[in-house]
Amino acid sequence: MLRLENVHASYDKSEALRGIDLSVTPGEVVCLIGRNGVGKTSTMRAIVQDQITVTQGRVSFEDSDLVGLRPYQIVRRGVGYVPEDRRVFQSLSVLENLRVPSAKAAGRRQWSLDDVFALFPQLYEYRRRTAGVMSGGEQQMLSIARSLLTNPRLLLLDEPHEGLAPKVAEEVVGAIIELKAEGVAMLVSEQALHTIRRCADRVYVVDRGQTVWDGTVEEFYAHPEITEKYLMVQ
Amino acid sequence: MMARLARAEMPRLRQMLFVAGAVAALEAVNRLTGVSGSLLVAEIIIMMVFASSLNLLMSFGHMVSFGHAAYFGLGSYGFALAITRFDVPAEAALVFGPLLAGIGGLVFGALCVRLTEIYFAMLTLACAQITYTVLFQWYDFTGGDTGLTGFMTPRFGLSEANFASAAMVLALVCLYVLWRVVHSPLGLAIRSVGQDRYRAEALGLSPRRVQLVAFVISAFFAGVAGTLFAVFHGNAFPDYAGLGFTLDALIMVVLGGLNSFLGGVWGALVYTLLKNFVPLMTAHWELILGLILLAIVLVMPHGLAGGVKRLAGMLGWGALR
Repeated sequence: MLRLENVHASYDKSEALRGIDLSVTPGEVVCLIGRNGVGKTSTMRAIVQDQITVTQGRVSFEDSDLVGLRPYQIVRRGVGYVPEDRRVFQSLSVLENLRVPSAKAAGRRQWSLDDVFALFPQLYEYRRRTAGVMSGGEQQMLSIARSLLTNPRLLLLDEPHEGLAPKVAEEVVGAIIELKAEGVAMLVSEQALHTIRRCADRVYVVDRGQTVWDGTVEEFYAHPEITEKYLMVQ
Repeated sequence: MMARLARAEMPRLRQMLFVAGAVAALEAVNRLTGVSGSLLVAEIIIMMVFASSLNLLMSFGHMVSFGHAAYFGLGSYGFALAITRFDVPAEAALVFGPLLAGIGGLVFGALCVRLTEIYFAMLTLACAQITYTVLFQWYDFTGGDTGLTGFMTPRFGLSEANFASAAMVLALVCLYVLWRVVHSPLGLAIRSVGQDRYRAEALGLSPRRVQLVAFVISAFFAGVAGTLFAVFHGNAFPDYAGLGFTLDALIMVVLGGLNSFLGGVWGALVYTLLKNFVPLMTAHWELILGLILLAIVLVMPHGLAGGVKRLAGMLGWGALR
């Protein structure tokens, strides 16, 4: 459903991506791993055309070209995006945060507030709380829940575990597993695979703006030299 | 679950009591202090609508306009020109003020929302200067610097006190509509784009479209205020679209308190009072006014609305949001 072919992209003059090839098929969880600064976030941004310019290559979702569209148009086509910094609207309440996208639903599975509260019960409990005072984990849940209300068929999660306590990170994995069971395809970026090995189907390794390896989770673990070469701190 | 969630957005009893109390107080001043009191009350009320229209942009859309008087002026001229140039009966001409302001907001807004932050602010200033210059120099049509006068009996011949009461009713309607806008899905869109346009866009909102709608609504209500002002004085001058009125509105909103719905209301009340009374006490009134404003902003960083809220919290009322 999502396909990137030889994608090059840059911020103003500085090139961030130099040849990304990847694909995600319906219902699949694909993990994008790589060290800090190799282009994982830029890849996510290149998909939704957010603050980065694709200079070469093709980005397509369900056979339509995404390059040149505005981010909101891409979101309305069914691509949900939870950015790395999981910015919630700080001064709005949890409920208000969740209502921002609900006016713009377009997808197949219609997510309701009740659905996301069932997935993240704490959010219902904290619904009147100002989003900015919640913990990082709670904000991450809110950020994911909010994206679900755009009714995505593909969800992009940029380092969803970053800065979260292990127990909270485990809850996020739980949510990813539940979403996968719902049939939502996901592209998840991480610095290491182990956090989401339980739910990932395939893996792409990114280095210096390029996809350098891809395979299944089993193949990834069968090749420890990949980890050594591309993921260990040198 | 949803029925319970929806109820939270209705005005609460305490808020309604507060509004009723405020209206009663203004009406008492209006009826008990003679002609000069009524004129002052009318001016305060008109400024409340004007400042609240800018407050929608600034507090909720985080869009700072340096040219909001353009729409106030277009409101005055839309009304005055309809009567003088198109022979529309004065009562019917009332709709042309806000209408022209709204159209002005649509045209200039479409241009301004292409930019953000200081560049947005500078464009609003440029648009306002264009408006002012056209009103100032197009003698054949707008009357140029002499403006449009003598086209109606000021206040439709109403007594000062009755006009102030009528303006109060209209202002209540305007504020209620603005309040509903802020608390509607559109208001949420305006606030979310204001806080973080990239995030809002990643949730499927078109930031420019949302901002343009906010801009037009804001311009429309500035136009209502401008129309009321033209009725109040029975005239229209280019100054109504000038920098002076823009600055007044900005000061009212900041003084009243950003991020608060009542910021424009409090700011208009206090600033108009200060502007009317300080000059009676001293010839150096601008200096004194400046010092008073400085003191208020320093003592109450969240403006008058924030200060009132804090005071209400200390007294255990917690209703004056």
